[in-house]
Amino acid sequence: MPAAAAVFVGLAPLIYLFDAGFSRGVQGVVDELFRSRTLWLVVRSLGLTIVVTLACVLIGTTCAWIVVRTSLRGRVVLLTLFALPLAIPSYLAAFAWVSWLPGVAGFFGAALVLTIVSYPYVMLPVAAALRATDISLEDVARSLGVSPFAAAWRVSLRQVRPAIVGGGLLVALYVVSDFGAVAAMRYETFTWVIFGAYRSGFNPTRAAILALVLVVIAALLIALERRVRGRTARTRLGRGLNRRSVQVSPRSLRIAALAWSSVVIAVSVGVPIVSVVSWMTRGTAVTDWSDVALTIRDSFGIGIATALATVLLALPVGIAIARFSGRFTRATEASVYLTHSLPGIVVALAVVYLGINLVRPLYQEVPLLVFGQMIIFLPLVVGAVRNAVEQSTPVLEDVARSLGTSRMATLRRVTIPVALPGIAAGGALALLGAVKELPTTLLLRPTGLETLSTSIWKHSVVSDYGAVGPYAVALMLLAAAPTAVLSTFSVMKAVRQ
Amino acid sequence: MNPPPNTSLALRLEGVSHSFGAIDVLKDVSLQVPTGHITAVLGPSGVGKTTLLRVVSGFETPVSGTIEIGGRVVVRDGRSLVEPEQRGVALVPQEGALFPHLSVGENVAFGLPKRRSSQARARVNELLELVGLGGFADRRPEELSGGMQQRVALARALAPSPAIVLLDEPFSALDASLRMSVRDQVVAALRATGASAMWVTHDQQEALSTADRVAVMLDNTIVQVSEPAQLYSHPVSRRVAEFVGEAVKLVGNVEADGTVTCALGRLPLNGAAPRGIVTVIVRPEQIELDESPNAPHSGITIATRFYGHDGEIDVRLDSGETVVARLHATRLPRSGDRVHLAVSGQVLAFA
Repeated sequence: MPAAAAVFVGLAPLIYLFDAGFSRGVQGVVDELFRSRTLWLVVRSLGLTIVVTLACVLIGTTCAWIVVRTSLRGRVVLLTLFALPLAIPSYLAAFAWVSWLPGVAGFFGAALVLTIVSYPYVMLPVAAALRATDISLEDVARSLGVSPFAAAWRVSLRQVRPAIVGGGLLVALYVVSDFGAVAAMRYETFTWVIFGAYRSGFNPTRAAILALVLVVIAALLIALERRVRGRTARTRLGRGLNRRSVQVSPRSLRIAALAWSSVVIAVSVGVPIVSVVSWMTRGTAVTDWSDVALTIRDSFGIGIATALATVLLALPVGIAIARFSGRFTRATEASVYLTHSLPGIVVALAVVYLGINLVRPLYQEVPLLVFGQMIIFLPLVVGAVRNAVEQSTPVLEDVARSLGTSRMATLRRVTIPVALPGIAAGGALALLGAVKELPTTLLLRPTGLETLSTSIWKHSVVSDYGAVGPYAVALMLLAAAPTAVLSTFSVMKAVRQ
Repeated sequence: MNPPPNTSLALRLEGVSHSFGAIDVLKDVSLQVPTGHITAVLGPSGVGKTTLLRVVSGFETPVSGTIEIGGRVVVRDGRSLVEPEQRGVALVPQEGALFPHLSVGENVAFGLPKRRSSQARARVNELLELVGLGGFADRRPEELSGGMQQRVALARALAPSPAIVLLDEPFSALDASLRMSVRDQVVAALRATGASAMWVTHDQQEALSTADRVAVMLDNTIVQVSEPAQLYSHPVSRRVAEFVGEAVKLVGNVEADGTVTCALGRLPLNGAAPRGIVTVIVRPEQIELDESPNAPHSGITIATRFYGHDGEIDVRLDSGETVVARLHATRLPRSGDRVHLAVSGQVLAFA
C-alpha cells in the first residue's frame, strides 16, 4: 500500500508530462524535438552539467581528502565550512555574485554558482567513505614501494570511487534540474525555457516535451552511474579495527591544503555572505520586521509539514527497499529516484494539473503545496531511511521476533528506533530543502502567502537587493545551523563503524 | 487424532528438507533435543547449519518435514503453522547482536511481557547476575567487551524462559583466549536455568567440551547424534572419524580373529569391521614412542611441532605411509631422527 502510494507520487508528474507532451500526437513530438533550438538547448544544458560535475568532483574530493587525511588543525570546523554552501539556495548565491560582479552572468557565472553550491554533494559522501576505509591499506601500498600520492590514488581513491561517482550523479541531476541559478545568471537551459513556456501560458506542449527530454537525460545519467559503480569491488577482506590516526602531513602539504581550502571557502561561502550583508547596509528600503517574522513562520510551517509528510511516506518505502529485494521494490526505488531528476517546475505543474482536474478545492492551498514539495524531497528522504536501515543488521529483527515480538512491533521497537538518527537527518534535509525551494513554491503557494524563498526571488529579480537583505540573512542563518550539524554528523558517524 | 504433546523433548525435527532453488540445503534432517539438554550441531561451514537454525526459528519454511517445539507442532509437512514470535525460540546470534538503542537492562527485558514492571526488573537483575554482569543494567552495549555482549545476549534470550535457546556460532567472533572462559560462563548459565539449547558450531572442541549430545552434520544432513565421548570413540563412518578429532589413516587388513594388521602392527579393533582391506583410523594421541629393545615399527621424523603443553611429530614409516603422533613436549624427537612407534588402545577400521 505505502509502496503503491509512493509509486503514484513518483509517477504522477510523468503521467502528466506524457499526457501534455503527446497532446498534438507523435508527429508533434517529433517536430518539436528536431527543431534546431531543442538541440541547441541539449548542448547548452549538457555542457553546463559536464563542467559543473567535473569541477565538483575535483573540489569535493580534494576537500574531503583534506578533512579526513591531513593533519591540519581544526578539520571539523573546516568540514562544517565546506558543507555550508548547502545552506545557500542557488538563486541566492547567483544574485549575490551578480549584484557584486554583473559581468559574470552567462555560462561562466552559472557554472561557478552551481559548482559552489553543489560540491558538498561530492565532498560529504567522499569524506564519509574515506573515513570508513582502512588507512593501513595505504601503509601496505607504501611498504610495497609506492609513493604517498600514488598510494592515495591507487588504493584509497579507488575504494571511495562509488562515493565519488554517486556524489557526481547527485550534482549532475541537480544541475540538470536547477532553475534558480540559471535564471539569475540568464543562461538559457531546459529548465528556464520550460519555465518561460509555462509561465507565459503559450506552449505547454512544448514545455512538456522538453521536460520529457530532461527526464531521458536524467535516466541516462542514472544508468551511467550504475554501470560505473557496479565495476568497483567494495568487499572488506579480513577483520580487525581500522587504524584511524593520521600521520603528520609535511609542512608544504599543510600549507597547500590550507591555501586551497581558503580559496574554496572564500568563493563558496565568503562572497555570498559579504554580498548579502552589504545589501543589508545599503538601506534602500525600510525593513518591515513583522513581515520578516511572519515569512519565517510560514516558511518553517510549510517546511515542517513537508518534512513530516515526506518522512511518513518514505519510512515504509525506505524500509522495504532496505529489507526486501524484489522486482516491485526495485521498481518503486527506480520511480522514486527518477522523480528526483525532474525539475521542480515540472513537478509543480504536474501538481497544478492534478489539482485542477482531481482535487479542485485544494488548488492553490497549502496541502497541495506540501504535496508538491513532498514529491521533490521524497527521494532524498527515502535514501536517508534506506541507508539508516541498511546500516543495522537484519539479525536484530530476527532476535526480536524470536523473543516474541510481532512483525509490526519489531518495526516499532527495533527497526525504526535503531535507524532514528538517520531518519531524523532525512527529515531535516527535507525541511532545509523545502525552506530553500523556489519554483514549486512560486507556483503552488496560496495567493498572498510569501515564504523566505519567494520573498528573496520577488525582490531580487527587480534588483531591489536592499529589500532582499533581511530575508536572505534570515534564510542563511536558519539553514546554516542544521546544515552544519547534519553534515558533520554524516561524516563523523562513519568513524564509529 | 493427534498424539499427546511430548514435553520431554524441547525440539523434534522429523524428515526436514529444504532447498534454495535447485540446491538442497537440508536433506531429510531428523533430530531431537531433550528438555534441559544442550545439543551441539557440529559441521563444517556451508553444510546447512544456519539454515537449520532459521528453519527451526521460523524465518524459513522447509519444503517438507515436521518440527515440534516444546511438544507443539510448528511445522507440519512443510507448512508453517506458527509465526517466529509465537514459537518460543530465543536466538543468540554471532556477535550477540544487542539492540544498540537500548541499555543492557532494556536489552535483557526486551522479550518480557511487562517489561517495565518490577517483576521484569527483578528478572533482569537475576539474569544479569547469573551471567556475571550484575550491576551492568544501565550500561550501553557499546561500552561492553565482545564477551560481555555475548553474555548479555544470552541473558536476553533466557529472560522469557523460551522452550529452546538457539545459539549460532556464538563465540566465533571472540579472541581465542576469551572464548573458553565466556563459553564456560554461558554453559553454566544455561545449566543453572535448566534451559534447553541447540548450539550450532564448526568448532569440534567447543562441541565436545560443552554439549550433552553432539549432532554431526555433513553433506546437508545429520549423520550421527551421540554423547561426546561416544562420538569420538565410535564414529559411525570414516568421514565422521576424520571430521571429529584428528585421524591418522593407514591401510590395514582385518583378520579372522577381529584384529587388524597395518604398518604399526597387529592392533585390537574397536567394534566390528568387515574382513579384508580397510582404512585403519588411529588417533595421534594413541601413537607413542616405543623405547623397548627390538621395537618392530620405525620411521624417520620429518616434521616437529612444539605447542607448549605437548607437541606433534610427523613420521614417515618404512611402509611409506606418514603418521602423526602427539607426544609430551619434553620428549619431542628432532627432524631426521629415527623413531620407533607403538599404538595403545583399540583402533577404528572402515571399509
